[in-house]
Amino acid sequence: MFEAKVKAEIIKAMIDITSHLINEAKLNVRKDGIFLRAVDPAHVAMVDLSIKPSAFEDYRAEDIEIGVDLDKLGGIMKLASSSDVLSLKYEESTNKLVIQIGNLTRKMGLLDTAGMPDPKVPNLNLPAKVTLKASELMQGIKASEAISDHIALIATKDGFELFAEGDMDTVNLKLPKDLLMEFEVPERCKSLFSIDYFSNMIKPIKGSQPVTLYLGNDNPVKIEFDFADKNGHAFYLLAPRIESE
Amino acid sequence: MGVDFGDLFEKKKCSLKDLSHKIIAIDAYNALHQFLSIIRQRDGTPLMDAKGRITSHLSGLLYRTANLVEAGIKPIYVFDGAPHPLKAKTIAERREIKEEAERKWRKALEKGEIEEARKRAQQTSRVTDEIVKQSKNLLSALGIPFVQAPSEGEAQASYMARKGDVYAVASQDADSLLFGAPVLVRNLAITGRRKLPGKQVYVKVEPEIIELEDNLKRLGIKREQLVDMAILIGTDFNEGIEGIGPKKSYEIIKRAGNLENALKMLKVEMDEEMLNEVRRIFLDPPVTDNYKLEWKLPDEEKVLSMLCDEHQFSESRVKSALEKFSSMEKLFKQNRLF
Repeated sequence: MFEAKVKAEIIKAMIDITSHLINEAKLNVRKDGIFLRAVDPAHVAMVDLSIKPSAFEDYRAEDIEIGVDLDKLGGIMKLASSSDVLSLKYEESTNKLVIQIGNLTRKMGLLDTAGMPDPKVPNLNLPAKVTLKASELMQGIKASEAISDHIALIATKDGFELFAEGDMDTVNLKLPKDLLMEFEVPERCKSLFSIDYFSNMIKPIKGSQPVTLYLGNDNPVKIEFDFADKNGHAFYLLAPRIESE
Repeated sequence: MGVDFGDLFEKKKCSLKDLSHKIIAIDAYNALHQFLSIIRQRDGTPLMDAKGRITSHLSGLLYRTANLVEAGIKPIYVFDGAPHPLKAKTIAERREIKEEAERKWRKALEKGEIEEARKRAQQTSRVTDEIVKQSKNLLSALGIPFVQAPSEGEAQASYMARKGDVYAVASQDADSLLFGAPVLVRNLAITGRRKLPGKQVYVKVEPEIIELEDNLKRLGIKREQLVDMAILIGTDFNEGIEGIGPKKSYEIIKRAGNLENALKMLKVEMDEEMLNEVRRIFLDPPVTDNYKLEWKLPDEEKVLSMLCDEHQFSESRVKSALEKFSSMEKLFKQNRLF
């Protein structure tokens, strides 16, 4: 059973964080919150998010799995403005999610969760940890998008660097360690990533929010951040690109 | 070709998309053989150019590789090196079968028996040195890497898979499992539709995966015992024991534990030197680290000149196959999480 009242912006945030990677999601609704973990079809990226009951105006739930078509849900969310409080109710008899926005009631058919496994988070060796503002990262990404399709994320004993190189142009975002909110870099770490994927991951994060990056050498990156006033928590894993010769 | 394990192994069906971003080592001999026997005209005549040279292998390599690349797969072809002397006998026998089949094919053509002709034609395909050379040239022009194995191609491919350099070996044979490949993919090189032998029915052929560890665990045996089973059944390097098929060999090895005890139980003798040599071939074959997992964009001009100018392939069809390669450039550089 699941019944909740929540600000539309929380659900919109959930969709923004996940919909660029997946079309369908299995929401693990539990007493202690809503949990989602999924991998994109190409197995290049993973998203894991959780929303605490405190993010909701009202939250009543017992363990159930709700399979959601994110495109559909996103379309429905467009009917609400961010501050609208909408009500959600799982209708067991019909396996539908009943969404009420003001005087509008929308019943949404749900997906069969039987074919949706819970992916395991792979064991990764990511020694470097840096935390910086999402807006700083986004600036580096925007500058790089214009000249290349991939970026290098580098963590050294001196700080953090984002680097991109085109045919004739380069972009370099350099943040010395004293400008970083958190800094733990025992050894130099560098990995390359597709700008498309990386940019879509950082975009949903509010500019002023801190983002923590865990980096290794030629290893995936873990991107961790909070949302919904710290009532929501998420992380991404993004597989690296190989250095082309 | 290869050891007949019948239905012993558990297979999992998969789609090409499931293999996206994975590196697959394709046994070249096996793939070329498939292309030569399947890519033919209705009466069984192989695809040929204006000068009567066979081009089925080139057609298969181009279009099939294009489909694999489009699905996001990174193929690397592994070519056989010098065959082990023990294989010489099997090779000679195969050649005889092919020559006989060729005689029967020509006869059927003369009589106008199309179906019979096609059946015979499928048995005649030979992977000649010239075909290997042309194939390597085409692969280079397509930017697809290949490895020259010191001996058995499947041994080399399995070694690369065990090292973790490639995800799986692609072949119709189960020999790669004997060579220790953790994952075997079957049906990768053949097209989606396949005619059932002897019937006028077409079925959709999908790739299937056989995992070595899962199967060994399920069967409760070690790889060494699987090799011993193979020796009983008969491999490319030795004749098996008459009347011992996959099921029986499994029962016997399970009970006896190893080949020596199994032979005692069966009251049959096998040359000790030979059986140890065959074991060595599968468990410790010659392999090389001399290969580069590097994919490049095709040299379109070269491919067009090779296939269209030289062998009269249709330019528009080759061009659309080439398109599949260039759109996948990004994929070649992107890893997967798992």
